[in-house]
Amino acid sequence: MSATIPREHEPTAVVDVAASAVATGVTRNEPVLEIEGFSVDYGVGASMVRAVDDVTLRLDRSRVLGIAGESGSGKSTLVYAMTRLLRAPGVISGGRALLHTTDDDGVVTPVNLVEATESQLRKVRWSHVSIVLQSALSALNPVLRIGREFDEVLKTHRKEMTRAQRRARAVELLRLVGLTEDRLDRYPHELSGGQRQRVMIAVALALDPELVIMDEPTTALDVVTQREIISELATLRARFGFAMIFITHDLSLLVELADEIAVMYAGSIVERAGARELYEAPRHPYTLGLLHSFPPLHGERRELTGIPGSPPDLADPPTGCRFAPRCTFVMARCLSERPTLRELGDEGRSVACWLFDPASESRVPVELSLAPSARQTVGEP
Amino acid sequence: MSDVELDTGAVQLRASHLSRDFTTRVPGRFLRAKRVTHAVEDVSLDLVAGRVLAVVGESGSGKSVLARMLARIVTPTSGELELRGTPIAPKAKRDLAYAAMVQLVLQDPFASINPVHQIRHSLERPLLIHGAERARVGELARSVLERVSLDPSDRFLDRYPHELSGGQLQRVSIARALCVKPQVLLADEPISMLDVSVRLGILNLLKGLCDDENLAVLYITHDIASARYLADETIVMYAGQVVERSVGTALVDEPTHPYTQLLIASVPDPSDPTSIAPRAATAGVMDSSVVGCRFAPRCPHASARCLAESPPVFEIGPGHHSRCWLQEGNRVATPVLTTRRGKGGPTTT
Ligand SMILES: Nc1ncnc2c1ncn2[C@@H]1O[C@H](COP(=O)(O)OP(=O)(O)OP(=O)(O)O)[C@@H](O)[C@H]1O
Ligand SMILES: Nc1ncnc2c1ncn2[C@@H]1O[C@H](COP(=O)(O)OP(=O)(O)OP(=O)(O)O)[C@@H](O)[C@H]1O
Ligand code: SF4
Ligand code: SF4
Ligand SMILES: [Mg+2]
Ligand SMILES: [Mg+2]
Repeated sequence: MSATIPREHEPTAVVDVAASAVATGVTRNEPVLEIEGFSVDYGVGASMVRAVDDVTLRLDRSRVLGIAGESGSGKSTLVYAMTRLLRAPGVISGGRALLHTTDDDGVVTPVNLVEATESQLRKVRWSHVSIVLQSALSALNPVLRIGREFDEVLKTHRKEMTRAQRRARAVELLRLVGLTEDRLDRYPHELSGGQRQRVMIAVALALDPELVIMDEPTTALDVVTQREIISELATLRARFGFAMIFITHDLSLLVELADEIAVMYAGSIVERAGARELYEAPRHPYTLGLLHSFPPLHGERRELTGIPGSPPDLADPPTGCRFAPRCTFVMARCLSERPTLRELGDEGRSVACWLFDPASESRVPVELSLAPSARQTVGEP
Repeated sequence: MSDVELDTGAVQLRASHLSRDFTTRVPGRFLRAKRVTHAVEDVSLDLVAGRVLAVVGESGSGKSVLARMLARIVTPTSGELELRGTPIAPKAKRDLAYAAMVQLVLQDPFASINPVHQIRHSLERPLLIHGAERARVGELARSVLERVSLDPSDRFLDRYPHELSGGQLQRVSIARALCVKPQVLLADEPISMLDVSVRLGILNLLKGLCDDENLAVLYITHDIASARYLADETIVMYAGQVVERSVGTALVDEPTHPYTQLLIASVPDPSDPTSIAPRAATAGVMDSSVVGCRFAPRCPHASARCLAESPPVFEIGPGHHSRCWLQEGNRVATPVLTTRRGKGGPTTT
């Protein structure tokens, strides 16, 4: 495992969004989640597919980590496996996922989710980590009224609450996401896609977790509704100080929302950096390609190329760098040796690409060596 | 630059005042209680050889119903279609000749290509139906795959849909549409189900077909940035109506309708670090039974008049129209809007 992020994570020059937002009383540079050498396989033997390959990530309290990458890159698999929601034929084949849980007295206990027992997992889920699934639009039970979704979670974890208290809490949560009390008595099909997604977010926040994971919460929604939900999430996080993992294929959305971004390609993280640094000065050729895949709203109209070819078949991945067949900067070495995620000097970011190997003969192309513009101001409210 | 060139390309398909209503029963009321949805209302457009017309709008705004009327899969409640100058009898059955001229490509390639057959079958079948000689269909299928950059074509012909990626399969469904040599290609959200990295490839393919093979293309999307990238003219639909349209990029660069403005403001824009700030109030329900402006329940500028009177279409610049009372004082546009081409992004004055 060569791609370890240092334990003493130096605060980088990354724009500090959450400084004013910590409501939990813990300092921001404490980790809430540390994933190390994490791998997940589907199936065994010849038909085995390694969907997540040696992923190492760290998320600090009250921060937002964005995971970007195209379909099939392993984003959902990573978070499902990490929270132990993965179903067969998926198996965790290595690594650990430490969740640093804080109890009511502020005592922090690390729990390795990979080895946790079912009863440990039950204690941790919803109360410390909650997840909004990618299929959330269909995740609500169609025959249950919305109120029951809240009831189930509160009943299991807050046994002391009375029925009336649970109802009051549900109303409060709905208000947080901009819905009115009457929605509690509705069935899922009576709500719009955006409203259902808001319900899922409200349920995820019910027990005031330290970490909220959102798997493509807005992908199925139109852009106006997406905008509303994103700004609501930003407000909620500022208020409650939870950390968040936000998964999407829309890199431009992440640049706005996240503090840090990890870009996944074919099961591995190929680049990790502060959101603005990644946007302004991408280092990995795939990140560069992704950024050039979104037509801009302003400026001259000029032809964009996207990324040639298509993502690899994980059952038969290319040897060497998995991006090599699509990479414009490919070198001989890329075809035989696989690059690992490495820290980039003192830039506080890492990249998995031979171009940045100090021993490499070739020079880093100019597109991949831009300096992030000296942006020091806090952009967000 | 105000020298907006008049249309010189041939109008392949003209739609005039197309409307389509759907009558649905209101659940839980008297059995006879019915509601009429004006899914598409009074839409006129020209699809011109060598040009891309983009239709942008949120879910349920009527984009697909419009495309299906143009493909004559859905019958209009009113309005006319004209194919290369020949009026189409409104109630006539869609014939093969029409289908050969006007082809529809759908959003989900996995749903639109038969999964149990090899790609060869999906391409050869329409060729045979449209009267190609059996001896030549293999060669035709190969050449059409090459046109959509699926090379080597032989390798793709023998594959099954599940062996292709989404982007490749969408290329196959475009290839299938091209088989019969259509003049008009209607693409209903052709990239929204595809991987981000392959979307541009499909957009560039559509652009190429348009530029090199003089196809008239209708590009339906909810992504206004991609419309700006691709289109020679753009229409924004809201609740079944065209609320704004322009040639070139004027509509995105200088939007005048409050809905277009909201749409653009909602697009993630990393170049604008303040754009996370909450925007317009919570979305209202879109109710097509309202008398006034359909956008009024969500509009930050709505006045009493907006609620009472439906705004007409105002012409606010060359080839740029907006259905909003705020534009009063500009000329009320003539009912049939003709397509014009703006070279290099015209600006309005
Ligand atoms: N049950 C399964 N059996 C075998 N392979 C699977 C299974 N589920 C997922 N995979 C494979 O694992 C890889 C990662 O899938 P995953 O759903 O994690 O991707 P993702 O990044 O979340 O994609 P998307 O953006 O489409 O949600 C894919 O190549 C997929 O084909
Ligand atoms: N067969 C039908 N019966 C009744 N109503 C219909 C029918 N088809 C469409 N509608 C209604 O017409 C309106 C427009 O639908 P349409 O499918 O054209 O929207 P769209 O703009 O394509 O949306 P999306 O972006 O979700 O594809 C919707 O309110 C829809 O419910
Ligand atoms: S390692 Fe080589 S092939 Fe891979 S991204 Fe870097 S330059 Fe491209
Ligand atoms: S007519 Fe009135 S309500 Fe409609 S968009 Fe214009 S200002 Fe808003
Ligand atoms: Mg996923
Ligand atoms: Mg549609």
